[in-house]
Amino acid sequence: MIDSLIDKDWVEALWLILDFALAVLLLGLAAAAVGTRDLRRGIALFIAFGLLVALVWARLRAPDLALAEAAIGAGVSGALLLAALRDVPPSGLPSVGARGLPLWLLNLGSVTLAVLLGWALLLALAGSDGIRLADLALANLEHSGVSNPVTAVLLNYRAYDTFLELGVVLAAVLGVLALGPARRSVRPAGPVLNSLIRLLLPLLIVTGGYLLWIGATAPGGAFQAGAMLAAAAVLLRLGGDATAGLPGAVGQRWLLALGIAVFAAVGLGVSTGGGAFLAYPHDWAGVLILLIEAAAMLMIACALALAYLGGRPAGWTIGDREGG
Amino acid sequence: MTNLLVWPVLVPLLGGLATLLAPRLANPLGLACSLATLGAAAALVVVFADQGPMILALGGWAPGLGIALRADGLSVALLAMSSLVGLAAGVYATGYFADPDVRGRFWSLWLLLSAALHALLLSGDLFNLYVTLELLALVAVALTALGGGRAALEAALRYLTIGLLGSLVFLLGVTLLYAGYGTLDLVGLAGALRPEPVAWVALSLLTVGLLIKSALFPLHFWLPPAHANAPAPVSAVLSALVVKAAFYMVLRLWFDVFDPALTQAAANLLGVLGGAAVLWGSWRALRAERLKLLAAYSTVAQLGYLFMFLPLLLALPPGPSRDVAFGALVLLALSHGFAKSALFLGAGVIQQRAGHDRIADLGGTARALPVTTFVLALAGVALIGLPPSGTFLAKWQLLASAIETGQWLWLPIVGIGTLLAGAYCFRVLGHAFGPSDRVGAALAVGGEEIPALLLAITATVVLGLGAAGLWEFLALGTAFDGGSR
Amino acid sequence: MLPEYIVFGLTGIGLFVIGLRAALVQAAALARILAINVAGTGIFLVFVTLAYRGHDAAPDPVPHALVLTGIVVAVSATALALALVRRLPATPGEDGDD
Repeated sequence: MIDSLIDKDWVEALWLILDFALAVLLLGLAAAAVGTRDLRRGIALFIAFGLLVALVWARLRAPDLALAEAAIGAGVSGALLLAALRDVPPSGLPSVGARGLPLWLLNLGSVTLAVLLGWALLLALAGSDGIRLADLALANLEHSGVSNPVTAVLLNYRAYDTFLELGVVLAAVLGVLALGPARRSVRPAGPVLNSLIRLLLPLLIVTGGYLLWIGATAPGGAFQAGAMLAAAAVLLRLGGDATAGLPGAVGQRWLLALGIAVFAAVGLGVSTGGGAFLAYPHDWAGVLILLIEAAAMLMIACALALAYLGGRPAGWTIGDREGG
Repeated sequence: MTNLLVWPVLVPLLGGLATLLAPRLANPLGLACSLATLGAAAALVVVFADQGPMILALGGWAPGLGIALRADGLSVALLAMSSLVGLAAGVYATGYFADPDVRGRFWSLWLLLSAALHALLLSGDLFNLYVTLELLALVAVALTALGGGRAALEAALRYLTIGLLGSLVFLLGVTLLYAGYGTLDLVGLAGALRPEPVAWVALSLLTVGLLIKSALFPLHFWLPPAHANAPAPVSAVLSALVVKAAFYMVLRLWFDVFDPALTQAAANLLGVLGGAAVLWGSWRALRAERLKLLAAYSTVAQLGYLFMFLPLLLALPPGPSRDVAFGALVLLALSHGFAKSALFLGAGVIQQRAGHDRIADLGGTARALPVTTFVLALAGVALIGLPPSGTFLAKWQLLASAIETGQWLWLPIVGIGTLLAGAYCFRVLGHAFGPSDRVGAALAVGGEEIPALLLAITATVVLGLGAAGLWEFLALGTAFDGGSR
Repeated sequence: MLPEYIVFGLTGIGLFVIGLRAALVQAAALARILAINVAGTGIFLVFVTLAYRGHDAAPDPVPHALVLTGIVVAVSATALALALVRRLPATPGEDGDD
């Protein structure tokens, strides 16, 4: 089989081999990550899986996603998972109770489902022209205010999705905060970690700002930038700062509200002249999108940092004196 | 002005931010925003009654590339119910949460929930519906956990994991549709759909995801613990609105998008599951030891009735007879929403007064809490389906449609379900009128009993007497056929 | 004839099923959260495969944006689920140290 491929075209064959290798590796890592009973191992494999997925995004020409996956999918999710494992000994981890299906039935069902879904996907692709919304989205790019097409979709064509998505982030962080106070105890970091933090911190913050700025024209944007700032917060927390570098509770409330408030204000502001909600005037689109993204970045960073703390920092309770 | 469509989403969302920023003022701010949300919904009702369906192309982009909000009779009617029930339960909650801290957190999440529900009801885009579904799920989970007890947290975690699986199955359906038809706009999709395997597999995925969310038997197992362990005002809205939002999506997708690809066999399957839900849910409600658990199982049963309408709707020819059955379905959904929220608020009053909600120990309730006992009775009238409640008319129409289409199976199920509902409602009332005085001494009408009373009256009297208006309202046209406007 | 990169779409389906199966089998909440994330990544992979149109053509930006939204939604849900997992074993409202 390999021979016939080499006959055709070396480059094509190499791509194909690489693609197959990536696919097999993905499936293997995923199966290993979810199949192990050792959760620490499972999480490590899951983070590796996330990094491999980022590589696949790069291979499929989705650099925005590669950045987001590495920063959020593998990075932040991994940090959250490790924090959960640190707080709770594996023996004390809660169980949600598995349904008592016989394993052979489950396996048979899984294989059947995979075949059915794969068949449906192939049929869908075979019956489609493959263009979908791509041409429309690319043709309108010059009216969107940005030149990165993914940012145009996220913050212009489908800005309402992103608006509600910030609502999802807010809902999740309010849910985390409602559960109880964050644990306060922190171990002071050793000298090695401290110097590493001093080295990495400015780098992360500058990278975050750069990703925000560059998102209009190149891969990047609010979410990747927010994840960078959140990573800086996680580092600070690891270094012994109980509040992970966040401002006081009042400041945190404002940061959380900021993303949606600015988004809504812009959306309503541009509609006062009789236009639709979120219909930016052409000349203003670029700067308005940057404004929204800056607010969203700060909100996401604050939300992810609070999620990492896992509860309310000092000062959130009414009547509490505001701490650090 | 078409931007009218964003206000039922924006008002509660911005209100949620306001309560987050000023937690000390959460009560007045929350009430004011709930009232303003009701105002936004009322404006929508008025404009819809006057001008018919509304469409808003967000961002000024044509639907397809952009996202459109769409409002028709179904979405506006449910939106009106949602803002009314939300306000009533919110008023009740101001007294329910004694701790100002918990109250602040409650109001932020509460208003977010309202925004999520309204965003879902108005969305005209498949992926946007997924986002609203996730928003709704996360807020609902956070509210479920607000009570803070171990049982509540466990129920919330299970609710979340099950809900996430449901959303993922739904999202895979969205993916297949985008692969096959290249659009996410519901109207565009409806125009492109063909009766072929891709559509069938996608519809199955979307439906299964939504069945998990709407807790159709046998996927209901997560609902009773979540609804029974959440704080009472939260349970009211989870049972009255949140599960119904998923059912609304089933209805919307089945009849406005997938109509050409539907098969009677699929509808029959959902109908049979609905019938099983009616029998199983009613039976478990009869056996429940706690009032809130009874109410939760009753929700499982009542959702079953809604699904029993699907095979009937599909068998009826499009036109007047299908419209009449459709109106009955909406009437049933509305009646249950008001009645069930009333029942949960009543259960909350009893739980706070007596310190428990064990049905066997409800003796003396009638003397100590006459208004709440009246609420339980009124809610019972609507849950059983006695006249003059809307449920009575709706069940009557269900039976008429079953006879018209020759689907005889539904007749005995409705009969048995109604008898079981009567049994579990009278069981509660029997204990409430019992002799013991464990609930406490007699008390003048407490302010906390009023919201439940108003909800119960709406379910039994207002909807029953105003049902004719509902049918006219729904007949004002659809925003989902692409041709209108 | 379907292009070769469709292998990624089928891999996505495979990841979805692997995640789904594990989510049904695993009893530990944390393992279930991992499994749900794997299943979600599978769906994202199908989306991104749809967007890919070969080495030379610009990819469809719409699925990329949808997946970016999906990633943020997934991490939000994961954060809430993990907060519940962290909170459950402890006495409610009380800090415990390991």
